[in-house]
Amino acid sequence: MKMTTRVAFDNMKYHRSKNILIGIAIMLTTFLLYVVPSVGKGMIDTQNAAVNKAYPTWHAMYRDVDADTAQKLVLHHDIEQSGLMVHVGEMMLGKATVSLMYLDESAAGLYRVMPERGRLPEAEDEIVVSQGILEALGQQADIGDTVRVPYQVYRDGGLDYGQEKEFRVCGFLADSDLSREQKVYTAFVSKPFAKMEIPQEQLTYRILARVNGNNGVMTTAFEEQINNIAHQFGIDEKQIRINDDYLWANYIDPSTVPMIAGLMLIIMAAGIITIYSIYYVSINQRVQEFGRLKAIGATKRQLRQIVLREGLWVAAIAIPAGLLLGTAAVKIVLLNLGNFATGVSVYLTVLRQVIADGEVPTVYPWAYVLAVAIALCSVYLSLLKPMRTLSGVSEVEAMRYRGGAKKAKAWRKGFTELNIWRLTMRNLADNKRKSAVTIASMAITGVLLMVVATVLSCASPKLCADNTILGAYELSPIVEQNNREHPEREWGKIQQDNPLNETLKAQLEHLDGVQRVDVFSELHVRTDVMEEDWNYLNGVPEEYAQELERDIIRGAVTYEELKSGDKVIVDSILTCWYPELDVGAKVKLTIQDGDRMFEKEVEIAAVGNYRMGLSNYAFIYMAKEAVDALSDYNSSRYFHVIADEKYEPALARTLEELVLDSGNLELRTWQQQYAYWKNNMAVVGCACYVFLGILAACSVMNLINTMINSVHVRRKELGMLQAIGMSDRQLGKMLRLEALFYTFGTLAVSVGLGSLLGYPVFLYAKAEKMLEITTYRYPFAAAVIVSVTLFAVQEILTLALVKSVRKDTLIERVRFRE
Amino acid sequence: MDTNIILQLENLVKYYGSGENLVRAVDHTSLEVERGRFTAIVGRSGSGKSTLLHLIGGLDRPDEGRVLIDGTDIFALKDERLAQFRRKKIGFVFQDYNLIASLNVWENLVLPLGLDNRRVDVAEVNAILQKIGLEDKKNAMPNVLSGGQKQRTAIARALVSKPAIILADEPTGNLDSQTEMEVMSLLKNCVQEFGQTLVMITHDETIAQMADRIIEIEDGKVV
Repeated sequence: MKMTTRVAFDNMKYHRSKNILIGIAIMLTTFLLYVVPSVGKGMIDTQNAAVNKAYPTWHAMYRDVDADTAQKLVLHHDIEQSGLMVHVGEMMLGKATVSLMYLDESAAGLYRVMPERGRLPEAEDEIVVSQGILEALGQQADIGDTVRVPYQVYRDGGLDYGQEKEFRVCGFLADSDLSREQKVYTAFVSKPFAKMEIPQEQLTYRILARVNGNNGVMTTAFEEQINNIAHQFGIDEKQIRINDDYLWANYIDPSTVPMIAGLMLIIMAAGIITIYSIYYVSINQRVQEFGRLKAIGATKRQLRQIVLREGLWVAAIAIPAGLLLGTAAVKIVLLNLGNFATGVSVYLTVLRQVIADGEVPTVYPWAYVLAVAIALCSVYLSLLKPMRTLSGVSEVEAMRYRGGAKKAKAWRKGFTELNIWRLTMRNLADNKRKSAVTIASMAITGVLLMVVATVLSCASPKLCADNTILGAYELSPIVEQNNREHPEREWGKIQQDNPLNETLKAQLEHLDGVQRVDVFSELHVRTDVMEEDWNYLNGVPEEYAQELERDIIRGAVTYEELKSGDKVIVDSILTCWYPELDVGAKVKLTIQDGDRMFEKEVEIAAVGNYRMGLSNYAFIYMAKEAVDALSDYNSSRYFHVIADEKYEPALARTLEELVLDSGNLELRTWQQQYAYWKNNMAVVGCACYVFLGILAACSVMNLINTMINSVHVRRKELGMLQAIGMSDRQLGKMLRLEALFYTFGTLAVSVGLGSLLGYPVFLYAKAEKMLEITTYRYPFAAAVIVSVTLFAVQEILTLALVKSVRKDTLIERVRFRE
Repeated sequence: MDTNIILQLENLVKYYGSGENLVRAVDHTSLEVERGRFTAIVGRSGSGKSTLLHLIGGLDRPDEGRVLIDGTDIFALKDERLAQFRRKKIGFVFQDYNLIASLNVWENLVLPLGLDNRRVDVAEVNAILQKIGLEDKKNAMPNVLSGGQKQRTAIARALVSKPAIILADEPTGNLDSQTEMEVMSLLKNCVQEFGQTLVMITHDETIAQMADRIIEIEDGKVV
């Protein structure tokens, strides 16, 4: 073995305790470096495998394309494969929704919906059904048999009156669990049938297309190509649907790579800071040790090599350990991926199947190479400064080295009387830089943790549910546009015979546990800039006046002013789609009230950012009073039931029954929203905290090192203090006070700075409507957990240190020479 | 018991190692030291004199025997009580001074009082500083003091808490011969002036001659 390697190896053994800490830090860093990309890639691969099995394979769907354009479009040189489909109509069945579709063979292929038995329909009276559809029809049939089907066809922009016809079954489709559960099916009819039912000029196609491209192409490039084609044929952007899931699964999303790279950088930085500061804190001792080596003739290069190789020796043990742990963790996470999400869907079933069949790897060789390379790189970078310091000091300087460039003070005004507290302060003041490095490196993780905790705390499932629904229950009439069979479901018609009437309101208010019912009115509305897009004029009741004013982001208006009906607030979402709709603009609204249409000019007085529960997708706000004044009918659109409890089974049941009996009402509950968000957030929160927890463990290594080091280098001094009468209890108190200083310092910076930085991050999340965040909520739980953990670590450490100091006899300590 | 006896060693034994490597550092040693006397323990390097001093100071525990200081059997005390006893009754002067680097001269001096929660008598501490000739150095940090000054500070520290006995372990071992004499006269004067009992170990016969009584140690036994 080369001399430098030998010395480095012996050094590693000699400075065992410090190297164990560095080893743990390297191990944790390597662990994360392996786990993050592996889990990321594993999740993507698993999802992709599932998507490829479950999702249609088309890239884009162009809707509402007339026959002429369709013919030309499919011949476009950028289109690799295409299929045609027509949404002909719906079956008229009470409890199930069955669409009647025409698909050519290519479209059926691209949609993965080839009949499992039989063939696609060709003759005008042929149909492909599924067992579920037959059950919904209440008929039995096999291939060749006939079934009677009541149906409505899409004509004149909506569903026409009902008809009935006898079809001959020519094939069977498989039913998925989801379609059986939700009772939503699709039956296939033939092109002659579609042509017969829909007048030539109204017949529009949906074109499914795969565009030319290779694996490795960015998804954004695909999207551009798809939009270009639409543009060339004059197809409106709104008529394009992109199969995001499939594209994302098979091509590269440019936003994934930077995200994983960003995480890796954070881990690397945490590793470097930890390893560096562990070296920094003990550099004092090491400089003298290296000075001696230099005195006996070691060259600068040899000294650098010794420092580097000592680090590499530790890495040689720690990196494999980190990889081993990482491999186990990745396997556990990936094999349980299907269990994190609850619910039933074709996708989830396939996902679980893919995992169970072991179709996706859980070990990625390249991830090992990457983790090892970055871990070694981190070790090297963190050793650069110690290498320079240790090899650069002259022999004489080395023997006298007192740390940093700081000259020891010659004089200092002191305390007249001393006690343990003052003694501690003296020692800490003497090691300001060391203390600062330790606190800073620990606090970085703390700050990160607090910022993430702020976002997660603002996005608590309870708050998310509160944001997506007002009160505990929301009742609304079933609204449907353009269904000739159900013309009564048009909003204009509902207004004229609105089930949300005073009787129902009084009935609800009398239910046990109900505090009050808040009524929101709505009118169907559009402006010139919105062209054919209709939205709703949202009549907000006085109870929400404060919120309406509070969440204005531009402009100013009071609730009183909104009562006039001449001023409105527009949601920032609408401004995003139609930038013309901004503060100060005067717009002419076309309002529909019952069967009547009229125009009204209003001024946009403000733009606001409101929670989903308040907007319910109705983005033009007025006072309820003003909306009601504009209407001759009952425009109550939502009854928000404010109850004593967010969920009370008896009340929920009563409301469910009430809705079921009415036949024209819908119910949304706070509990459903809460369950949805809770499930989503648990996975995100858990992953975030595990990640941050490991980073925190890295920085705790730092505290341990600083404390051990401060005791180690002062062994003689502590022995001395004890010789002149410091009791074990006093020694414990002194070490505890020192540790408390680090704890408080770290807490002050992490909780203080973390809380401060958390707020702008919250504002960003709110503006971006991330995780339905609207309300700032201070992450008390995280602050308490961080504090308690730090105090616990510090206390355990102090006890361990006092014990270790007492392991040596007093006389050994007094005689101790470095 | 004679009330004039401040220190009494009874059949003290301290061995290190075992078998062939057995070192009889202190081997059945008994002796008595009178109050207010300056006693020098002399012996060659490895004779066991340092171990003996450490046992007297309660820094190490013996295998057998008792050490009585002012009538108290110090090894009958638990660690916590022993530490308290030490800071009240025993003052130490070490060969390499053992000053606390982060404290200035004054703070080093008053440290034993602080540990014992005693109030500082500023006038008295100033008097001691004057006596050792460091009154203008009370704010100086130890790293700017000369060896002699450091040792004088250490002596002052031992005096400040008015212990029953001062134990000095080769106090002049690191000093040149001129400083050595200065420090020794200071030590002797102080002991006399403050009426202290001093037990000093040294391998230097000349220094030992300054003592009221000389005890010679060889192979762990009083000769």
